[in-house]
Amino acid sequence: MTQGPRESVLQRRLTLSELLDVPTFTEVVKGFVELYKIGIKVFDEKGGKLADIKIGNGDFCGYVFSFPEGRSRCTKQVGRVKDGPLAPTQGARLPLLDDSAPIKGLVTSPCFTGLRYLLLPITFEGDVLGRVVFGPFLPAEQKGFPESLTEVSAQLEIGRAQELVEKVRRAPESTVARVMVHFAQVLDTLVAQGQRTLLTSQLHIEATLVQNRELEDRAQKLSEMNVKLKELDRLKSAFLATVSHELRTPLTSIIGYSEMLAEGLAGPMSQEQNEYVRTIMDKGETLLKLISSILDISQIEAGRVRLNFEPSDIIEVVQSSVSSVKPQAQKKGITLDVQLPKEPVNAACDRDRLRQVVVNLLANAVKFTPTNGKITVILTPVSAQDDLGKKGYRISVEDSGIGIPKDQQEKIFQSFYQVDSSSTREFGGAGLGLAIVKSFVEGHGGVVKVVSAPGQGARFIAVLPEKPATPQVQIAPPVQPTPVANDRF
Amino acid sequence: MQLNHAQRELTVKIVYYGPGLSGKTTNLQMIHQRTLADVRGRMLTVETHDDRTLFFDLLPVFFNTQSGFKVKVKLFTVPGQVIHNATRRVVLQGADAVAFIADSRRAAGQDNNSYWKNLLENMRENGLDPAQVPVVIQFNKRDLPDTKTDAELEESRQKGKEPVVGAVAIRGEGVLETLYEVLKAAYRAIDGRVHLAKNIGLTEKEFLTQVFSLMDTKGTALEAEFPAKPAGGGQAP
Repeated sequence: MTQGPRESVLQRRLTLSELLDVPTFTEVVKGFVELYKIGIKVFDEKGGKLADIKIGNGDFCGYVFSFPEGRSRCTKQVGRVKDGPLAPTQGARLPLLDDSAPIKGLVTSPCFTGLRYLLLPITFEGDVLGRVVFGPFLPAEQKGFPESLTEVSAQLEIGRAQELVEKVRRAPESTVARVMVHFAQVLDTLVAQGQRTLLTSQLHIEATLVQNRELEDRAQKLSEMNVKLKELDRLKSAFLATVSHELRTPLTSIIGYSEMLAEGLAGPMSQEQNEYVRTIMDKGETLLKLISSILDISQIEAGRVRLNFEPSDIIEVVQSSVSSVKPQAQKKGITLDVQLPKEPVNAACDRDRLRQVVVNLLANAVKFTPTNGKITVILTPVSAQDDLGKKGYRISVEDSGIGIPKDQQEKIFQSFYQVDSSSTREFGGAGLGLAIVKSFVEGHGGVVKVVSAPGQGARFIAVLPEKPATPQVQIAPPVQPTPVANDRF
Repeated sequence: MQLNHAQRELTVKIVYYGPGLSGKTTNLQMIHQRTLADVRGRMLTVETHDDRTLFFDLLPVFFNTQSGFKVKVKLFTVPGQVIHNATRRVVLQGADAVAFIADSRRAAGQDNNSYWKNLLENMRENGLDPAQVPVVIQFNKRDLPDTKTDAELEESRQKGKEPVVGAVAIRGEGVLETLYEVLKAAYRAIDGRVHLAKNIGLTEKEFLTQVFSLMDTKGTALEAEFPAKPAGGGQAP
């Protein structure tokens, strides 16, 4: 009993004009009229005309119509066949069908001129949807004219009327009835086809609307979820920044006081005590670096890192980076081969950030290079760079470590990603170094690439422009809120 | 249900629901074959090339009551395939009662259950209260191997309030019996809301008699109540 938002075509009562394709139907009616030489009219239940094809009677009826009384009687007759009851009343009678079986609903409506009409209801699912009117035709047995015509006017010339009425099809009533039954069968088929087409196409539309509504609901939910996730991501970065900051403050004190103890500022210590304190210091430094990395990445993700580019000596940047990792390399017996160009490399960069890029790449290389391995650092002179489409330079750091499988080479630049993320992994670290490298290099308008195969070592190449496009850059966070367009109207 | 006092017309909508290939269309075809030609319309079927119902089937049955009301009973089937859920929902709109056609084979149990849940969900989505729309369950394909036993059918009957009818629709067994149960349930549900007996003078007995006296009940459980008449010469189109 409850209706949907719009009444379905399945619930609605259909009209004849919805069920029939009117142009096609008109063609069918024309074909019948031409074949049988009898006019056909089709009306829907409200008297609306769906087809009206005349033949033969125009001149005769026009002549009768030219007399005022003829006009009045004609109008009445036309009204009777169009709107009168489909029953043997009001001048209509049951048809004369010779010996054939009665035809349900068929009635004959004689015209005052002696011509005749046959009327047949159009039924569909037990409803009357309209009617078919056949005629007028001249009954086969008709001779002369009835009084109802001749009394119309003294001026009416019988000879002339006789001449004109001969153009009207003369046929027995039972023959016309048979043609009409055939027509009704064709109409029935057309209505069935029409119903099928109408219901299937409408239902297809209704089903699509239902589906659309469901998809819209789902899209709405996803979009709400997306907003929530982005907000959570922002909160995560803010949380990391706060926590790192809060961790760093006491840690600096721990390192500072350990340093003072190791220096003997609080009195002499035994060698064993000294070793312990130095271990506290070392581990403290490691922890501090990790916290700094977390702070960096959280700043990047919060979109709070701004790069300032100024003319710099890149050779100096590379050298100072190398010297800061030298102690760690020496500890593992790793050879550092640094190849620098003879001519100076001058370019605009954010010196501190670029130094961090090189340091992170080197620290990464040291970590994954086995004892007594080799690391090669190459800085190229400024030249045209295909990767950038302009002039620039390359810094490459090559290690002789375990290498990186092909399918991992993209992921290693994501923050917190580790190729081996098992709890028993051999190499420590939080998986932030390369993510920071990528952010900073891209902040310069450069690209970072990796060439590697398992067991073959890895070569990281940072390609950087000689002149970044703008003197300053705000590093975009990896997850960016979708821009929402403002209302325009 | 649509009750039009001005046109003195009552339209009752029955929906045959159930998993794909459970025999919904076969039920309608059998009803069509056993109904006198002048009280039913053409059966409309839209099939895909593999003989499966794409949209729905529609079989209208109509009669005039003694009090001069015109009653149209429209029997619909829904497409059984999973992907046509939106069509199922549209066809289910405004249903007065549902015949749930289940496959009796044990292997079909899970399918039956998921379509049962789908029916309840689509009713709610359409704003129909499952507690207000009566459902009759037909266990079809009783002739196939691996079907549930009569005892198991009895068990299903005890599980809920829905009437349960066993059937072999392809042989016409249980088809009119299911229709009888679903029409009776529909009448009672509508009567409970608009008081058909009081308002339009249509009693349950007349409603059922008008429909089944126009059907060939030979060999069915309804034969005693509605003596068989010669079939309406209805060849399925």
